[in-house]
Amino acid sequence: MFSLSIKEMTFFKLKYLLIGFILFFVAALVFIISGLANGLANDNASSMKELEVTNFYLAEDSENRLDRSQFTIEQAEKAKDASAFGVQMQTTEKGKDGKKIDSTFMTFENEKLLPTIIEGKMPQNANEVIVDKTMQEHGVKLGSVLYLPSVEKKVKVSAFTEHFTYSHTPVIVIQPALWEKVGFTYNALVSTSGTPAQSIDGDWSTKEDVVAQIPGYSAEQSSLNMMLSFLIIIAVFVLGAFFYIMTIQKVQQFGILKAIGAKSKSLIRATMLQVFILSITSITLAALFAYILPLFMPEGMPFVFEPTVILSYGAALFAVSLIGALISTISIVKADPIQAMGRVE
Amino acid sequence: MTLKLQHITQQFQDGDDTLTVVENLDFEVNKGELVAIIGPSGCGKSTVLSIAGALQTPTSGDVFINGKNISNYPKNKLADVRLKNIGYIFQASNLVPFLMVKDQLKVVADLNNTWDEKRADELLEAVGMSHRKKQHIQHLSGGEKQRVAIARAFMNDPELILADEPTASLDASRSEEIVALIAHEVHTRNKAAVIVTHDESVLPYCDIIYEMQQGKLVKQKETSQ
Repeated sequence: MFSLSIKEMTFFKLKYLLIGFILFFVAALVFIISGLANGLANDNASSMKELEVTNFYLAEDSENRLDRSQFTIEQAEKAKDASAFGVQMQTTEKGKDGKKIDSTFMTFENEKLLPTIIEGKMPQNANEVIVDKTMQEHGVKLGSVLYLPSVEKKVKVSAFTEHFTYSHTPVIVIQPALWEKVGFTYNALVSTSGTPAQSIDGDWSTKEDVVAQIPGYSAEQSSLNMMLSFLIIIAVFVLGAFFYIMTIQKVQQFGILKAIGAKSKSLIRATMLQVFILSITSITLAALFAYILPLFMPEGMPFVFEPTVILSYGAALFAVSLIGALISTISIVKADPIQAMGRVE
Repeated sequence: MTLKLQHITQQFQDGDDTLTVVENLDFEVNKGELVAIIGPSGCGKSTVLSIAGALQTPTSGDVFINGKNISNYPKNKLADVRLKNIGYIFQASNLVPFLMVKDQLKVVADLNNTWDEKRADELLEAVGMSHRKKQHIQHLSGGEKQRVAIARAFMNDPELILADEPTASLDASRSEEIVALIAHEVHTRNKAAVIVTHDESVLPYCDIIYEMQQGKLVKQKETSQ
């Protein structure tokens, strides 16, 4: 029956091409939205994702929110097998013209957690900082002087890092010495593995829980995820309907084939084979399309092609189209061979 | 005996009434016999054919094909009987729309896992279609399609050939040609065959003629060839 399926598809090219296109576009849309969800997630919280930290120790009742959790310098000194971490969303002003830039200040007691430098040198003293390279869009260069208005302090940019943002703002990494000097408190203790017991009051949270509470993160992700789940549900119905129409159109033909001795099983197999070929081709092409799409996208569009995510959504769509086709095979089982007689009495 | 119907009764439910189309019918066809069943429209002759062809299970009675009682066979087993033991020629040729002439024969052979290309060529030659075997069937005329259907009916070498109004969609000279062809193939290949028809011009080619009367088959004529 394999050759029968293929011959039917090549003979009715247009019909199968149309269904293939629908599958392709639905899959491409799913992949693009998932790529955007990924891209936005990265753009939003890349600093946290890059951070080689597994758990955060937050003050009690902070509900996993870093901005609600505070530890004084004295409390932070009591950390066991964990290091102090600070994060503050503050405006920065650029040098002479005083242009305001939304940014996030971060500090790491543990130097191993500092981001990888892609340009410039490690800060030599407390007045030098590492900044995310998206700062370059605001005209910030190596050696630029940034003014921190909230603490009335000037710092010099000594190095750039990349993929280091927090709530869509570039991160400025400040040394703990300056952090403490300007009177900021720490927000959390971070652990690179496990949840060592602490003497100060607080609770351990996982990184995922903390990331989800970054301002705007959950809202973005949940709206995109809602779109994705709706798309998948729409796909179930659209594909189900298409395959159903395709099979009821052929009920007469199934009847004839049954009359000359074909069994329902082999007819179902032939139909499923067609759906299998259609889905695999369309979904693979859609994945390729999503893969090359960033080349044509405007600069700065947050889109990340994550093979594992694409694979799982691709598998979901594949399952959806097989299920849709399977439902329509009921009409194959029901096809009566007596239809071949040209009259049903 | 290739086909034997024994005490066949077929009833249909029509609202509150029960309609008896076939009543206590007995019928036999032997190897090498071409039998015609005639009768007015709606008298139940096609019902007899669909029962004989394992397409329909009668209300009561037994159907024997090659001496085996198929009355209580499940659907899958009936499909096997249709595939291996019966060749059909329908009113509308009922070919598969997207296949070439030769592939029409390949479908039934593949279902039976017995594709023999030589046999297909020989059959197409016999029905005078070998020059068109690479053509898609939408390019064929009604008579040509029917020739292909005849070749397909013989493909799996069944013992029984059943034809339901094979000439209904053809003009007079074509229908005679087609019946002559069926008769020739049935006799040279020594098959049992039943033709249901109301086309009188077909009858000279048949060995035995039955007429359907009040749910029973009445023998009209027997010629020895």
